[in-house]
Amino acid sequence: MRTRTRTLLFAAGAAGAAALFTAGALDLPRFGGAVHPYGDRAVRQALRESTTNTISSVNFDQRAFDTIGEELILMASAIGAVVLLRVVGKEAEDQGAAHRHGPAEVSDALRIVGYLLLPVTLLIGVYIIAHGAQSPGGGFQGGVVLGTAVHLLYLAGDYPALQRLRPIPVFESTEALAAGVFVAMALAAAGAVPALNGAVGVEVGCALVLLIGKFFEQALLVREPPGGTP
Amino acid sequence: MILQLTVAVPILAAALLATAGRWLPRLVVDVAAVLAVAAVAALAALTLTRAPHHAQVSWLGGWGPATGVGIPLAADPFAAGLALVTALLTLAALLFSWRFFTEVQAIFHTLMLLFLAAMVAYVYTGDLFDAFVFFELMSVVAFALTGYRSEEPSTVHGALNFGIIQSIGAYLTLAGIALVYARTGQLGLATAGRQLIGTGTGHGGHGDALVTAAFVLICTGYLVKASAVPFHFWLADAHAVAPTPVCVLFSGIMVPLGVYGIARTYWATFAGLVPLRAIAVLGAAAALLGAVMCVLQHHIKRLLAYSTVSHVGLLLVGVAAHGPGALAGTAYYLAGHAGVKGALFLAAGALLNRHQTVDEHELRGRGRGMPVTGATFLLGALGLAGLPPSGLFAGHAVTEHAAEELGWWWFTPLAIAASALTAGAVLRVWLGVFRGTPAEEDPAQEDPAHGARPDAGGGHEDPETRPTLRNLPWTMVSPGLVLLAAALLAGLIPGGPVGAAAAMFTDRDGYAALVLDGRVPHPHSVPADPWTASGVAGFLATLLLAALIAVHAVRRRASDRTGGGILARAAAATSARLHALHSGHIGDYAAWLTAGVAVLALLTTRF
Repeated sequence: MRTRTRTLLFAAGAAGAAALFTAGALDLPRFGGAVHPYGDRAVRQALRESTTNTISSVNFDQRAFDTIGEELILMASAIGAVVLLRVVGKEAEDQGAAHRHGPAEVSDALRIVGYLLLPVTLLIGVYIIAHGAQSPGGGFQGGVVLGTAVHLLYLAGDYPALQRLRPIPVFESTEALAAGVFVAMALAAAGAVPALNGAVGVEVGCALVLLIGKFFEQALLVREPPGGTP
Repeated sequence: MILQLTVAVPILAAALLATAGRWLPRLVVDVAAVLAVAAVAALAALTLTRAPHHAQVSWLGGWGPATGVGIPLAADPFAAGLALVTALLTLAALLFSWRFFTEVQAIFHTLMLLFLAAMVAYVYTGDLFDAFVFFELMSVVAFALTGYRSEEPSTVHGALNFGIIQSIGAYLTLAGIALVYARTGQLGLATAGRQLIGTGTGHGGHGDALVTAAFVLICTGYLVKASAVPFHFWLADAHAVAPTPVCVLFSGIMVPLGVYGIARTYWATFAGLVPLRAIAVLGAAAALLGAVMCVLQHHIKRLLAYSTVSHVGLLLVGVAAHGPGALAGTAYYLAGHAGVKGALFLAAGALLNRHQTVDEHELRGRGRGMPVTGATFLLGALGLAGLPPSGLFAGHAVTEHAAEELGWWWFTPLAIAASALTAGAVLRVWLGVFRGTPAEEDPAQEDPAHGARPDAGGGHEDPETRPTLRNLPWTMVSPGLVLLAAALLAGLIPGGPVGAAAAMFTDRDGYAALVLDGRVPHPHSVPADPWTASGVAGFLATLLLAALIAVHAVRRRASDRTGGGILARAAAATSARLHALHSGHIGDYAAWLTAGVAVLALLTTRF
């Protein structure tokens, strides 16, 4: 299809879809109304179970099955990244070309800040997971903090240290294990919000480390073909 | 607890294999995966036997209907049957791939198990948002499985197209769910449906603009999955590059699950509020276009993929016919199609393994040493044509009867045309590959223009097994044969229970009673009766046409296409047009998708 035709087709379709959505949205309840049926029920049930953080109660208790699905999506994405990106690793091995990882020059200020922030950030991640049942936070958020904290080492310019800190196979296994533990716990006893929170935290943290690690491997692989010219 | 276990067993097995697969011997991985899938099949079969009499409902975590916040899993007979079909297809695919993919730990098995879990959860869930979550999980796993052999650029291309188009569809579905939620404050299919009936009716008891918009948007994602025209472009690209055992699951059950999603959402939530004519129109278009494209292919996996577009289009028409009769026929059709298509893809996989190509021209006459594979293609073609007592025969006959009562005179010709074209194409493959004489080594065969178009396919492909197996082991042969036999006998499933299940499925209050009150509804039902004279006549007509198409194609190839009347030239021009339409360009596909939403909206709105 030529670009012009494609644009016209898209414009016509988008106009129709926009009209449909606008017409539908105009029939929505007025903004700022006092009726919140689902919210009322969710808060009431959370308080009945004495979970003070209603959001965690919805995530890990009332609708824990959704969370299982979301966790598995994350796990499948991480596994998928491993499958799809394994070719890059193979290329590097196959071609035997010289390659190296990572940024070369990092200023001292960045290096020091990276080292200093690493333990603090890890602590914050653990805190957010541990207190998810009571205060804002939870396994997903804390897991993301944990997963990214590790990569401060990269900002500090120390890629070898980062590689030592996160052996990919271990994280792969731990991630899957945490997902399995979450499902098993949800089957056995829904309602153990803090424990479920912890399992999700581990799973999300590992998955994130895995994903970022795989992307790093791809993005930072500086190929230096033997011939010199690309 | 049975329903939870049906979902949890494959997830736990997947987690185990992902954790320890790196260190486990290959045999243990294979056995563990197969055992887990067999357990799911057994659980689904148990659910199926119990569903007609005892309510198979389970509110997860004990958050019952009174609390108004929980998620139900509910299995009526159709849902349980679909779960069973899913598990059996996965079992066949895993057995077939026993000798496949030795290099990457246990990731292939992990993904297959997650795929199964996602599909079962999607089928059982009684919650709009939860359905979306597992729909997404299904898609994500499917992307990874499609791109599994990511060494080749075309694989990445196909997987990327698949991923982008599916994701756009899924976002629109989520937007539709948000509209329903904003109006009703409910996420359960049954509870949201009750609320919509109460509040969402405009003039004359029909849905207002919000209801229409929500239905159209939710359907868009499901129609992308179900590959209705013009949402179907991703399907052939993905099937052409995905590993063959994965194609079995894609064509056999994942694409039809899009149809299930529409049917379930409609009857549980939107019944009577919106018309289904849009689904009928897009489904009929898919049935026709898919069939024509099917005949035009010579890459066998692409050919089979387009036949899936066509047959799933017929399933959509069956759902849109809007009644228990047509739905019973659709169920027969789905079961038969799953088996036949699964067997055909496995046979294509056997060809790929033996000859490193699935190009019909290159394979010409080279299948003579493979009698079982040849027989699969022949019987598969007959099955697609609706050989009694296959599931497709029963499906045609029952749906046709229901369509006639609606006054849909066009259904019978449409079904015959779609079946004849797809069956004719498969029959042509059988004639050429298994009965033809091998072409002598032709230097001109290495046509450089061949691989340039993504649609052309062909050329050498990496075998999925390594090293190439001398003799096909029984693990690669028997799954296809069992699937084929099951499909060819599926029409013998007694019509009484099928009719009753269809009546239960199409009864909105019955579904609400099942989910919310735990009561099994027993609406009045008519037994499905596949054995009609017009059904048999339809099969004979289809078979005759299919044979004509196949023989004509083979003749034409033998005479080397020298004849060029106006008709032939017009046909060639049309075919070039159609190929150009399926360009492989993701921008084209996205533009068609938005246009499809607009068409859906136009056809669904009541002016």
